[in-house]
Amino acid sequence: MTTEELKAREGVVYDPTQDCKLVGAARALGGVKDAVTIVHGRPGCHCGVLLLRALGSNQNDIRIVSSGLRAQDMVYGAEGRLTESIRLSYNNFKPALIAVLNCSAPAIMGDDVEGVVHIMKDEIAAEIFSLSTGGYEGPAWLGYEETLAELTRFMVRSETDKEKDKDRINLIGFKQDDFKAYSDFLEIQRMLNGQEIAVNTVLTNSRFAELKNAPDASLNVVLGGDGLESAKIMQEKFDTPYVVAPYPFGLDNSIEFLDCVTKGLNKETDHDFISAEKEKIKERVERIFLFLQGIYDTSVAVVGDGGRAFDFARFLSDELGLYVKVLAVTSRNHVSGDKTKCDYVGSLLMEPDRLEMNEEIRKKGVEMIFGSSMEKKLAYELGAPLVRIFYPIIDEVSVSDAPYAGFRGVPQLTEKVVNAIINNYTEM
Amino acid sequence: MMHEGTNGEAGFLRPLINAYSSLPLHGITAIPGKVSGALMVAEAIVDAVPLIHGPIGCSFQRKINPFRPYMPFYETPCTDMNDLEVVYGGEDKLRVGIKETFEKYHPNLILVITTCASDLIGDDFKVVIEKTKAKGDVGCEVVYTTGDFTDKSKPVGYQDALYAITDQMLCNGVESERTDKNDGSVNIITFPIHGAGLKTEEMASMLNEMGIEINKVCFDHTAVKDLQELSKAELNITDFPMAWAKRMKEKMGVDYFSTVQLEEYQNSEDAELLSPYGIEGSVRVFKEIAKRMGKEGEAEEVIEQRKKHMTERLYKARKGVEGKKVAYNGMGGLHSLELMLLQDMGMKASVIIYNTRGLERLLSESAIQEVLNISVAWAREYGSDPEVLVNPTAAEEIKAMKRTGTDLAVLSSLTNPVHEYNKEGIRTFNPMDFMLHHQRVGFECAIELAMLLKEALNKPKTRNPLLCMLEYDPYRTSMIPQWAKLADMFAIIREGAIGDRCEI
Repeated sequence: MTTEELKAREGVVYDPTQDCKLVGAARALGGVKDAVTIVHGRPGCHCGVLLLRALGSNQNDIRIVSSGLRAQDMVYGAEGRLTESIRLSYNNFKPALIAVLNCSAPAIMGDDVEGVVHIMKDEIAAEIFSLSTGGYEGPAWLGYEETLAELTRFMVRSETDKEKDKDRINLIGFKQDDFKAYSDFLEIQRMLNGQEIAVNTVLTNSRFAELKNAPDASLNVVLGGDGLESAKIMQEKFDTPYVVAPYPFGLDNSIEFLDCVTKGLNKETDHDFISAEKEKIKERVERIFLFLQGIYDTSVAVVGDGGRAFDFARFLSDELGLYVKVLAVTSRNHVSGDKTKCDYVGSLLMEPDRLEMNEEIRKKGVEMIFGSSMEKKLAYELGAPLVRIFYPIIDEVSVSDAPYAGFRGVPQLTEKVVNAIINNYTEM
Repeated sequence: MMHEGTNGEAGFLRPLINAYSSLPLHGITAIPGKVSGALMVAEAIVDAVPLIHGPIGCSFQRKINPFRPYMPFYETPCTDMNDLEVVYGGEDKLRVGIKETFEKYHPNLILVITTCASDLIGDDFKVVIEKTKAKGDVGCEVVYTTGDFTDKSKPVGYQDALYAITDQMLCNGVESERTDKNDGSVNIITFPIHGAGLKTEEMASMLNEMGIEINKVCFDHTAVKDLQELSKAELNITDFPMAWAKRMKEKMGVDYFSTVQLEEYQNSEDAELLSPYGIEGSVRVFKEIAKRMGKEGEAEEVIEQRKKHMTERLYKARKGVEGKKVAYNGMGGLHSLELMLLQDMGMKASVIIYNTRGLERLLSESAIQEVLNISVAWAREYGSDPEVLVNPTAAEEIKAMKRTGTDLAVLSSLTNPVHEYNKEGIRTFNPMDFMLHHQRVGFECAIELAMLLKEALNKPKTRNPLLCMLEYDPYRTSMIPQWAKLADMFAIIREGAIGDRCEI
């Protein structure tokens, strides 16, 4: 089967499935473990970003500060407030990096944010930079790309022997606030270690000093295409090659992920490791094979970001045998356009309007949805189980070490899918 | 809109709401923007649709509802404003957007919510809407809210949106004399921004017995048609002072009454006017409504009879609660619960904890003192001589509770280290849960409170809460140090913001 249609939204009115530049930038910065993000904007922008972070599973790691822009500052400017906020952020958190995200209001007002940053650089012992993240400037994925690109400015190749860094890679496009991010990272690291490959730096899930050392790696691995721009800059600047690898959802994507990495490093893949992992998965699948036979061909919709949704849909279709009737890509990235010919989904929607997307999913007769918390109402209306995979997830937490990614993620995801179907109460 | 059962038997709903209630957000570490408040209004009107005139972030990010994080705003269409509109203006997009919104959603009301971007570039919302309507492109009402109509009354977006609806739709071109009147009737308007304040059955039945008809109860599956019929009533009863009610009085002659009598308190300094709950609070509310409706005579008897009956029931219900020593936060009537503990439950205040951190940003110095004075005066009036702790540490709180032989700490984990009290063998009662799910005007509420307190006094002890493993800020005792820093910083950063601080 080939993809039936590629639908994009029409008209002016848009109920978006994606956020603005501010959130993309804040997500990227959230993964710099010793950075503070200052939201230079009206209270709503700060509150929104703070909520997104706090309602995920990182309630002990909130480094998002407001510049305190007040109503009266809309007339006279808020450069003084921003200065104070930078100072307070430094004094309270002693961060290695302070990033100022300049939102719509001060951007239109014309606050000299660069000037403030420049002056404060002399006063405090942290790196500071600002990014223009006015909501009108574009979607979240662009904010994410621009932030990672900005971070490359601070990178320096250390003067150590390059040879010893062979088989060290950087992971790019990893989002620390994605659901299961912590356990997914542990699993990805374990898989790489199984191939005797070490992780040098994660963009972003590293301290600032580690980020600066990113050029010490011999390969950049771009997960699902997110952060491609930064990989290109690093190739140009530091001669670090890159590969775009799938997000390792499921068995095939995990193997392909490892193949991509080993190939990029000119290294043989250790197939014994993979065979052993396959054996473990087989044993788990065997334990519930009757249910897996039972749910075969269930019609599902996948609603998620371009960096991961294609790979997730492929896992559902190729490995669990589910029928992905609709794949709605909520936000694209630089490689999403290359994936639109995928043959594992029925109907493909790119950055759809939410109302139109919901209608399409309804029309197709979907029995299960894989998405974010934003699909809860639709799932309820359809009477279909919702499995939360994609950002934002504000109504499910994850603190256990049970990944969705990699080989160990296969049984986790499989049990999640089966349980989501058979857990339901019904009366006949 | 979700409803809880009248006895709070809401299944999963109560724990769901409670799960999000400890988030230290509103005025502590952040302030929700006007868009969120306006979206609360749009969502409460079943046949209304918001149209956010701004970029996608103002739509997508605001789907996360800071007032009810468990319940996102699922429908938030926007005009997808981009840099072109910021330079050349967004009026064309707004015009087309209104038309498209009508065609796609078929609402009876489009609530245009402006954003920083559209406000700053100077789009003329009024003219765009008037022209679009005049052209006949939309077959529904269109109203716009900017956050500037109500002089920073809080919550700004919510107050402003309701005012906009009243001013631009309900009172627009309608002469008060021409409105059909539903004589002798009132509207009960509760807008449960934080809780489940829709429990108006008892109030409605009381008013009926008093010979007062109910014209509308809002917001309860409220449609545009219901709003249009609000002006048929003689009186709008709101739960706190509302700018839209004043506007309706000015334009349509419909009087208003706020159950929290803030304005009257400012004149009389009678703190009980801030407390519309419990037996006496409810009596005062019912009497005041009767007076406004000219029903004092017949209402008096009804109120007294009901009061007598319910007081008898309450006295039975509060056995085992009466005389118990209770520790609570000094709120000076801001949430009424402490008055109910003293007045209705007959409990004794043993410790009053008063945390001023964070209040400095919201209240003037004299108002902070006034709040504490009210709390202490109430305690003394009802025969208690409590220990007063101002900004204590958790250890100081526990020590005082033990020293005074406190039976129950009526304190919430949003503000206090409840887990630490439990570990030390002190039983707790969650005032937040009560305020969210039970507190309302009427007599039943006091009886419910008595039963809940009795349950709390006898419930099994929690001996070793996992929460005790964490390190907390010594003064913001329910927060880990990082959140405490965020709260401290927020208080400094917002200092002097117009509209943030108020006098009582």
